[in-house]
Amino acid sequence: MTAMTRGRAGAAAAASSAWSPAVWIALVMLLLTATRARAEPATLPPAGAGPATGLADSAGLRATVFGTPPQDIASMPDRVPLTEIDIAMPWARPLPPLFWFDRRLRVWLSAQDKPAPLAIVIAGTGSDGNSANLSVLRAALYQAGYHVLTMPSPTFPRFIVAASSTGVAGDLMQDGHDLYAAMQRIIGHLPRKVRITDIDVLGYSLGGANAAIVKSIDANEGKLHIHRAVMINPPVSLFASVGRLDKLFAQSIGSGDEGVERLYRRLYAELANLYVASDRVQVDENFILNAAAAVLKTDADFSAAIALDFRLDLVDMFFAGDLYAGTGVVIDPRHPPTVSDSLAQIQRVLRGMPFSEYFSRVFAPYYLKHRPGATSASLIADNRLDIIGDALRGNPDYYAQTNSNDVILNSRELTWLKDTLGSRIVVYDHGGHLGNLGERRQVADMLDMLGGRWPLAPE
Amino acid sequence: MNTVGPSRFICAASLCAASLCAALGGCASEAVSFRSVPAADPAAENAAAAENAAAFAAAASTSDAAGTTEATQAAGETVPITPADAPSMYTYDPWSRLNRFTYRFNARFDEAIFLPAANVYRRLPSPLRTGVHNFFSNLSEVDSIVNYTLQIQFQRSLRSLGRFVINSTIGIGGLIDVAERLKLPGAPTGFSDTLARWGMHPGPYLVIPLLGPSTLRDGVGLLGDFGTTYGINIANLYRGDVSWGLDVADAVDERAHVNFRYYSSGSPFEYENIRFLYVRKRLIEDEGLRAKTKSKGASTTQQENDRNAPAGK
Repeated sequence: MTAMTRGRAGAAAAASSAWSPAVWIALVMLLLTATRARAEPATLPPAGAGPATGLADSAGLRATVFGTPPQDIASMPDRVPLTEIDIAMPWARPLPPLFWFDRRLRVWLSAQDKPAPLAIVIAGTGSDGNSANLSVLRAALYQAGYHVLTMPSPTFPRFIVAASSTGVAGDLMQDGHDLYAAMQRIIGHLPRKVRITDIDVLGYSLGGANAAIVKSIDANEGKLHIHRAVMINPPVSLFASVGRLDKLFAQSIGSGDEGVERLYRRLYAELANLYVASDRVQVDENFILNAAAAVLKTDADFSAAIALDFRLDLVDMFFAGDLYAGTGVVIDPRHPPTVSDSLAQIQRVLRGMPFSEYFSRVFAPYYLKHRPGATSASLIADNRLDIIGDALRGNPDYYAQTNSNDVILNSRELTWLKDTLGSRIVVYDHGGHLGNLGERRQVADMLDMLGGRWPLAPE
Repeated sequence: MNTVGPSRFICAASLCAASLCAALGGCASEAVSFRSVPAADPAAENAAAAENAAAFAAAASTSDAAGTTEATQAAGETVPITPADAPSMYTYDPWSRLNRFTYRFNARFDEAIFLPAANVYRRLPSPLRTGVHNFFSNLSEVDSIVNYTLQIQFQRSLRSLGRFVINSTIGIGGLIDVAERLKLPGAPTGFSDTLARWGMHPGPYLVIPLLGPSTLRDGVGLLGDFGTTYGINIANLYRGDVSWGLDVADAVDERAHVNFRYYSSGSPFEYENIRFLYVRKRLIEDEGLRAKTKSKGASTTQQENDRNAPAGK
């Protein structure tokens, strides 16, 4: 559910050396997100009503992939100070040697030098606490006078390893509790010179739903006194949304790893031919940008890019879940791989596995065992925003921003959001999923909502 | 020359000690740590992104016309690469265990020493950093001149020579990239490209200590580049007393220009992903080098035979 934002197209610093990893990152992003795949017959059962692309039209798909055009971005400050905080969480599961590098949770703080409200921003599925989307939100919020704390998604591998109490990510309430505990610990460790007057939470995509859940947990526990919550492009039903992305993958790339391999071969050939024709001396960012324009053309291309982006996030989450839950799908629980073992084969198998496999083979077995009385149906129902529906309806401090052509929503879900939040939701007519994040209007509305100035808010 | 010995020894010893510390203590053990990193500059970043986007839009609008003419031009000269020609998704990595060890070592070294040094460097005023970067880029032109000559690409060799002469004189010893403004942009090459040009395959994947992802051929190429610059020893920069300092400055400058952080993906598959990327990037560049010489059409049949072999073999 992450968007390949403007960052994907242009964030990697211009690198002149043949040794530059930035170029490789840019290349892999293109290799993995650009495609000219032909439609394959779907092999997965259809997920919910409506098309796999949700409400997205052609423009919505393009906006989702390319992100907000830089010229539409709200005015940005010249300088945002940044402190990187690595912090251990005592409740984290024992550290598997394989994840030695993920021992402590990493979050980023931009502090004002005067007393100010704190805005905690949560990333979308599989994203780090320093993603391109978070950088835009951080800059906008800092400029508006907030301390800004950006956090990874609870589905990001480093969060799963360092801050999850279960290791099995994706459950809205469980992830919310882990996030809430992590926030308390981080705020407790902030230097005294960071003077906080108020706390608000916000998030984009899945992070939006996480933010609302965290606020509702805080309403019961009262440890942080979170004031307002803003959801940006949130899902309504997690499993319906990812089910559609599974379906999108099957349609645009094909099922299993053969689809990925076919896509890779086609892409390699296209890139190599462009490169040979280009008279360049190295594959650099500039080449990748030009190639992307030539390679990404049809709705199917953009659909494949969106589906693959999600799948790659899922691969990491699946791996961690299988390791922690001991479900043995790809990892033998008695002989987990060591730091020097090749993981190529495991990666290959996981690339071919949709979210439905994660649900039925890792997520459901784990939570059915640990949650007395739960059923598959109840697990699915627990992952809808309905679980805090009353709070969303009755509490004036919840807000949302979404788009009428969002990939992760269908019309019934959008209607539910509008009915539930009433005047506290704004629906833009463009942007797909996160393709207008950071836009002038989106930022201005977001700041009004956070500051309690949203014009239509009840007095 | 007598004074060189001890100073080098001290440098080497301190480097070893630092590496050891990095390897042993790379992961700090305290519960919380704060690290102030260079401030973000969203306004400038966004302006740069807007420029990129404009270039992208221009490319998109002309890619239909230009793309097809380029493609037909290419088709006239060379055989287009088909999906069947693409190398396997597997990468030839017989030294995987050693490579993984080196990768982990590099990650810790980077986190403990290299990246902090680069972050300090990033706080220097930007014109100063640009000057340093240009200075080292200009020095590397010497190696490019030699290798373009070895690749029988005399036009490019002349271009590198022209750049070197212009930047070393008008550009005050290479501090200003004047040639770039005269529409002579840099096009660096190295001994590895020369080897590729004469038909050498990348060979096994290789992670080089401190430097990172590479292949056997690129490693050999690196030694060749080192030998070339050391042999030519321009302005006695490579054998003088200050060589170590210059090497360190070059490395830190290079690191500061690379937007990469070990394990920022958090992914257990990072080694696999970087390996995949690096080798595909090099293979695509090889296609370009081969295409310039491929009038015989002999190499295509050879490729078909081993297309199921791991990439790089």
